[in-house]
Amino acid sequence: MTALRSHFTGVITHPWFVVALAAGLAFFVMNTTTGTVQILTFILINVIFAQSINVLTGLGGQISLGHAGFFGIGAYCTAVLTRTYGLDMAVSIPLAALLGGAAGYLLSFPAGRVREVYLAMMTLGFGMIFYEVVREWVSVTGGTMGLSGVPSAALRTASILGVPLNQIAYFWVVLVVTLIVVALLSNMTRSHVGRALFAVHHNEVAAGSLGISHASTKRTAYTLSGLLAGLAGAFYAHLVGYLGPESFAVHRSIEVLVISIVGGLGSIAGQIISAAIFTYLPEALQAFAEFQFIVYGVILTFSLIVLPKGIAGLILDPPRFIRPSALAAARARKPELVWNDSVGRVAVKVEGLTKRFGGLTALDDVSLTLKPGNITALIGPNGSGKSTLVNVTCGIYEPTEGRVMLGDTDISGLPDYKVAALGVVRTFQDPRLVPSFTVRENLLLGAHCLGRQSGMAAALALPAAMREEAEFLAEIEAVMELTGLSDFADTAVDSLPYGYRRMAEVARALMARPHTILLDEPAAGLSESEMEMLGGIIRKMKEAGLTIMLIEHHMDFLNDLVDDVVVLDSGQVIYRGDIDGMRKDQAVIAAYLGQEEEEEV
Amino acid sequence: MSFFLSLLLAGISVGSIYALVALGLNLTFLTTRTLNFGHGSIMMICAIVIAYFASLGYAVPLLLIGSLALAVFLGLCVERIARPALRGGGSMGWVVSTLGFGILLQGIAAREFGSQAVAFPAIIFSAADFFIVGGVFVAYQYLVVLVVSIMLILIIELFLRRTRWGHAVRAVSLDAELGVVNGLPVKLIITMSFVCSALLAAVAGILVAQVGGTVDPAFGFNLVLFGFVAAVIGGMGSSVGALVGGLIVGILSKMVAGYVSSAAEHAVAFALLMLMLAIRPQGIFVQPEVNKA
Repeated sequence: MTALRSHFTGVITHPWFVVALAAGLAFFVMNTTTGTVQILTFILINVIFAQSINVLTGLGGQISLGHAGFFGIGAYCTAVLTRTYGLDMAVSIPLAALLGGAAGYLLSFPAGRVREVYLAMMTLGFGMIFYEVVREWVSVTGGTMGLSGVPSAALRTASILGVPLNQIAYFWVVLVVTLIVVALLSNMTRSHVGRALFAVHHNEVAAGSLGISHASTKRTAYTLSGLLAGLAGAFYAHLVGYLGPESFAVHRSIEVLVISIVGGLGSIAGQIISAAIFTYLPEALQAFAEFQFIVYGVILTFSLIVLPKGIAGLILDPPRFIRPSALAAARARKPELVWNDSVGRVAVKVEGLTKRFGGLTALDDVSLTLKPGNITALIGPNGSGKSTLVNVTCGIYEPTEGRVMLGDTDISGLPDYKVAALGVVRTFQDPRLVPSFTVRENLLLGAHCLGRQSGMAAALALPAAMREEAEFLAEIEAVMELTGLSDFADTAVDSLPYGYRRMAEVARALMARPHTILLDEPAAGLSESEMEMLGGIIRKMKEAGLTIMLIEHHMDFLNDLVDDVVVLDSGQVIYRGDIDGMRKDQAVIAAYLGQEEEEEV
Repeated sequence: MSFFLSLLLAGISVGSIYALVALGLNLTFLTTRTLNFGHGSIMMICAIVIAYFASLGYAVPLLLIGSLALAVFLGLCVERIARPALRGGGSMGWVVSTLGFGILLQGIAAREFGSQAVAFPAIIFSAADFFIVGGVFVAYQYLVVLVVSIMLILIIELFLRRTRWGHAVRAVSLDAELGVVNGLPVKLIITMSFVCSALLAAVAGILVAQVGGTVDPAFGFNLVLFGFVAAVIGGMGSSVGALVGGLIVGILSKMVAGYVSSAAEHAVAFALLMLMLAIRPQGIFVQPEVNKA
């Protein structure tokens, strides 16, 4: 069954299959009724529209209940430009898409600040405002009367670059654009852009620790999504030739959400299948049209329970985020570990660091230096502020007082993704990998902040972008070798045993080529042999000259690894020195075991 | 001056309705940290069945009881539908499933009762009953809405602060897991919050329909948006906040509608929402939470 599914996925997502399907359609429309051509064109428009939701919600994880707004912006933009100002469609349609993108970019600022309830409501509000504006701005949009006389293929009033378009030619135009959109999206999804979107979707904090800015990633998602919706809207305008506000009310936003969810969020192919079904059904079945709202309601209510991954989850393999061609190119390279240039040369220092949460002082005037090339252990009882110290150092929290220095630069208050890009990388107490990603994909995520290629280069699959991807993939082979993950390279992380997940997180941090690495309890929950392996990896890092901070409770594990020990208790440094000294230190003993007198009470 | 006063009174009146909507949204937010996107449709359906069956000659008091019973049933449905999504974590699930339920109700209403507005019967006062304040005609209905809102807010505040069950609700709101560990009937509390929320929706729906005179299947959506803005301004989860937020939104939107353009009402609400989320996302009456990463 799985083999059959993989085979099927391989066929229908193969570029040649898509081209053949498109060519077949292009011929088919020449010998069919105008009604069918109209429906087919509408399917293509919905394919683009659904991809717009897929980028924002499927990849970026940002829900939108107001996408009809972007769709409408595109539609009215091209309609007004061609009808009122006589612009050519070859100019007005790209402009409409750009305007949709601009709207998405602007909305990303307020929307990027909020999530869940607030985001859903904000996007719903955006859609409603757009609807109201269209109704009231009569001089431009025609208000409730609508805008008729938009150049349209069906009425034979449309032309592109002076060439008149009939319905068939218009279908060809939309088909070509759809193919380009799908190709670009499929490249982009399997590049650092797609992986970053999905990482932010899954866990913003973890993404930040790898140098991925959640704000700018979301901005990309909104802009791209607005652009695609605007494009779909523009094509819609020239398909129907008449625009009224009712076409852009809440139900249109709901409809595209239904298409996207049923198709399977995250799957490009799923969107296409679903768009075809949900555009065709209401046209073909009168009964479906009559019950449309009820059907949509039922689908939305139960789809995520019954079929959480949609049609794509049922019949297709889960989408992957690395291009097979990049993998092939990587195999031709020699796997090699690459270390940061400033390894062993810059020290991370915290000076007089205090962090308060309301009335709770988690860190109280902590100062310490991570000497370059040394392993510093940070130990202390639960709640003593160890993780808080890591979080402040890495920019997840802003310090209340004091500062964090990297060499001679003050990095306190820098956002987490910038700290990571500077070469200070951390792991988490609880592994925060992207669960549906394979080990390889997760590791590639680690290299995100090293990438120099633009998203555009990745979407176009330019040679430079492919070379960079292959370079990272080759490095991953070496890192997986080191961490014992080679056998699980293509296994999804959520089906891996816990020990391997821990290892994968350390490996992912290494892929960022840090000069300083902060490991938050990396040995927790590991077996004896896994711990030995971890010790080996840490020694290897030290040999390469990395500065390492290790939070750990496991004294035997630390014993023959560490150079310096810092002990925290209630947010204060109570000991610093070597590990033997620590074992005899009265303050440390008291912190762990309590005072003699207290025990007797 | 009297124009200003009449706008103010209208604002207070719709504001108290928004407050009622916000209050309903708050109740489920307290226990589950989620928003019921089907809230508006519950308001609509509870009002529309009264309007429809009253037009067929059924007794209004009987219909009122029936409508409230329907609300209880719908509240249970929403809770049942949202439950798997609530457990799964992530907002996608429950936004989509409660929204879906709302659309389903709207679709059913549009099919059964038509998508045209249905006249709503006068229950306590008719639109023609009014008194005069400072030279302005004030409908008694407005007064009823305001009084009912304030009463319900007082009852809910007293319940949350003075009763054992109220304390339990607040405990669940802070940390449901801790509630389970301490033996609180968390599931029951969540279910009850959905039922009470649906009852509030029904009351709000009936009152709005009473003031507006008609109901149509689409009327819930707008109200939920305004109610949500009110709740955010006051602070999600705060009952007093719901009242103050509702009044602010109501008065401001009526003022803008009166002095600038009636089309700008939504834009004002939206602008308020953006502003509030930018400046003080936790609202006026709620202390900010400390989040640990």
